[in-house]
Amino acid sequence: MGNRQDIRVILGSLRYKSAPDTTLLFNVPLIQTAKENVEFDKSLDVNLEQVFDNERQNSDIIRPTCKFSLLFQNAYSGFTNYPPFENNLYYLNADSAAALQCLSGATTISWTGVPQYNEFDFIRTDYNVSGYTQPPNEHLNFIPKSASSYNWNFFVSYGYENDYTKPMSATDKKTNIILNWIVGDGIPFIIENTVYNGRNTVSFRCPVKHGMSVGEFVKLSFSYNGTDLFQIDSLGVSTFGSEEYVFNIIDVGYLGGTFNNGVTGTAKRVILNEHEDDTISTYYVRRNKILTESENAVLVNAGFEQNIFGEKKKYESSGYTPNQVARVSIKEGSQSYTLSFNKDIRVNPIRDNQKRPITELFFTVIYKGYFGWMFGIPRAYPSTDYFGLREGWEFNLPLNSSGLPSSWWSTSNSDSDCNFPMGSYTTPISSGYGPGSGLITFTYVESLKEGDIIDGDYCEWNDYDQQEKVISNLFHKLTFNPFSFRIGGNVANQLGYYYQPHHVLTTRVYSDYIEDGDIRNVVGIPDYSHFSTTKNLFIWRDLYPYGFVDSGNIGVSYPFLNGVHYPFKNIIFRIIPEGTNYNEQTIIADPTIDPCE
Amino acid sequence: MSNKFLFTIPKGNKSIDLPIEIKWDFYGRDDSIELYEEEVLGDIIGVAKDFEILRFSHSPYIPNQKTEIKYDFYFYDSSVPVSASTVSTDWVNSYLFPNANPSGFSSTQIYYYEKPFTKSFFKLDFYDTKDTQSQTNYFTIIIPVQQGATESASISPLTPNVNIRKPSYTLDFVGDKEGFFIYWLKNEAFLNIDTFYMSAKFFDGRLGVFVKMMNEPQSSLSDKFIFDNGRYFFNKVIIDYTTKTYEVFDYLNNRIGAGSPIKWYEYINP
Repeated sequence: MGNRQDIRVILGSLRYKSAPDTTLLFNVPLIQTAKENVEFDKSLDVNLEQVFDNERQNSDIIRPTCKFSLLFQNAYSGFTNYPPFENNLYYLNADSAAALQCLSGATTISWTGVPQYNEFDFIRTDYNVSGYTQPPNEHLNFIPKSASSYNWNFFVSYGYENDYTKPMSATDKKTNIILNWIVGDGIPFIIENTVYNGRNTVSFRCPVKHGMSVGEFVKLSFSYNGTDLFQIDSLGVSTFGSEEYVFNIIDVGYLGGTFNNGVTGTAKRVILNEHEDDTISTYYVRRNKILTESENAVLVNAGFEQNIFGEKKKYESSGYTPNQVARVSIKEGSQSYTLSFNKDIRVNPIRDNQKRPITELFFTVIYKGYFGWMFGIPRAYPSTDYFGLREGWEFNLPLNSSGLPSSWWSTSNSDSDCNFPMGSYTTPISSGYGPGSGLITFTYVESLKEGDIIDGDYCEWNDYDQQEKVISNLFHKLTFNPFSFRIGGNVANQLGYYYQPHHVLTTRVYSDYIEDGDIRNVVGIPDYSHFSTTKNLFIWRDLYPYGFVDSGNIGVSYPFLNGVHYPFKNIIFRIIPEGTNYNEQTIIADPTIDPCE
Repeated sequence: MSNKFLFTIPKGNKSIDLPIEIKWDFYGRDDSIELYEEEVLGDIIGVAKDFEILRFSHSPYIPNQKTEIKYDFYFYDSSVPVSASTVSTDWVNSYLFPNANPSGFSSTQIYYYEKPFTKSFFKLDFYDTKDTQSQTNYFTIIIPVQQGATESASISPLTPNVNIRKPSYTLDFVGDKEGFFIYWLKNEAFLNIDTFYMSAKFFDGRLGVFVKMMNEPQSSLSDKFIFDNGRYFFNKVIIDYTTKTYEVFDYLNNRIGAGSPIKWYEYINP
């Protein structure tokens, strides 16, 4: 017994003189440190399904994998006199160039062509091309280990923080008016007064999807008679698909020029007008944090899979090449690739850009271009650096009314600069082919590192909704190095190729309902909940367990084995030439009722 | 709770034992049960172990951070017994060997990829020890004969020579890749092995037999048939879990395969 104590009992008369003997009583305190056994607790049925689920829910290790189907149109032809590049083009004027070279004997004939597919492919296979990747007079000595990292680098990233101050610019397609705004200001618009459904209407035409619904409110960047909050009456105009880009308010007879045609501004979505502060959306550029090193990526050919367009190649006869060497040149390829990482991702310690447990990872693909066909334009003195990748959003992609790249992409616009560190090198064989008959400086993007933070998608968040929506995806743009391959045009704002760097991988999902609770009587309110002044309660969305898919088909269920989650995604990776109609989202939906029915 | 006890006149110190019947269980026992439950479940059905594998590539070496690994396989004309007069050049780096048995394909079989040839392969086995009595084979790499360098050969006196495969392999990230990577457990917790011993065999598709290979020709041995198996049948392979690479060493712990080929010679039974 742990509470045993020695107790000395003394006869009463011995305690002091004349003390009487007395009957003694003492209390034995019995402190309860035990409870009754419950038989049920000692027996348990082994339920394998339950054990599996317990392990699944307790695991926070993710091994993301994906398959890339690479779609590319080799669109820009040009020329170069730098032998390693010139000798390895996919020629477009071989007949005339060969004749000219034969007749004149000159070595500076412009052989026009497009760079071969290896310059864009995920894994280069031209490891044994004499005069290019192998001696003599090679451009560089090919290192086989780098075959999958010469052109592109692959990372895992996640939404880490929000940038509310990013300047943006878009062009209104109808009027060609350029709209400039700060991302935190909301959605840009240009006003056009119309008659819709027989009523005078003020239409707000946006260059991006506004994400608003009828009955909600918009807070404008300007006011009319002291109010800047207006209810949305309808969406769209009479053209197909305009609902996503146009919202309307009723023109009740506004006076003055506030709502005149051509007026521009920005708008924010408000769900409840009487609780504007609690229900207004915020707008930002989500910034992604890199979780892996480029060396962690394991990229391999996907077995037995090619895209539907096939490989476009041709035989270049020795008489039709500048160096009189016959070869097969490839314009476009069709190989698919699988990507995995030799580093596991632990998700529990990570919080997303809304300080919630992360539910999305991103496969982040960054063009590296080590062979030096791209970039190469030096920054202004005294900088010794070079311009590299440029960034913009989907609405920046279309050509302007002159058929040229939007001014957003110009090297003079610092807002479109990715600011990734650039590397450069020269080759002895380039002597005489560079500026001033000097060397050509070949430039490439240095590999990003774990912990780097880069820009991502243009997003909207609403506290009352507890939901993030992507308004527009981020795109990167790469342009040719005019000193190593010239395609013509303004070198400060050349035609180029776009690609989407971040591809989302959903690892878990939040519920489609919103929970609420009072902290005084609800246990388990998550730390990421938001205190809604509208409801005077904490509100949040539940995080669905792994493997749970609700009746609305919301949820994730992907393999769990080895104590690890294996989410997977198929990605169509497009390298988009400037001005291409790349829009894939206009999908003809399945009919609700099949005509055969 | 109180209990009444009556004490009579004491003589000396007394201690009282209070028998208190325990019908209860200690606090925390249910927690222990939960832990025990996990333990029992682990014993019965096992806990999740990480069997994920990872590819380990050949460690780069200078110059130019090359990563290629070369294997050259040499065959012997076994119609001639190995004797004291046998020299190392009796082993040749070719599938061609007229009248050879078991190796010896015709140039036509090789050039036209006939079944006996294409069904043949080299087999690299990886063991935890070179002690053949106690070793465990953990994994195997197959090198198909469709890879490799070529040599010139005649398939007809009426046609020019053609290039046919020969058993000389340069494996790397690109080009011939089959057999370049070692695929082994990613997590060291389950099997913490980083040193393997590699042996080589050739499966002859003509005869359906395995041909054992040695890391030195028997001609170099003082006793052609009695020798240390561990020394002559195995090369050491060490994998590095940090860099995800591997290196190959000979019996003297000198790195091999870094530039020059790893040579394997057909072993001839007496």
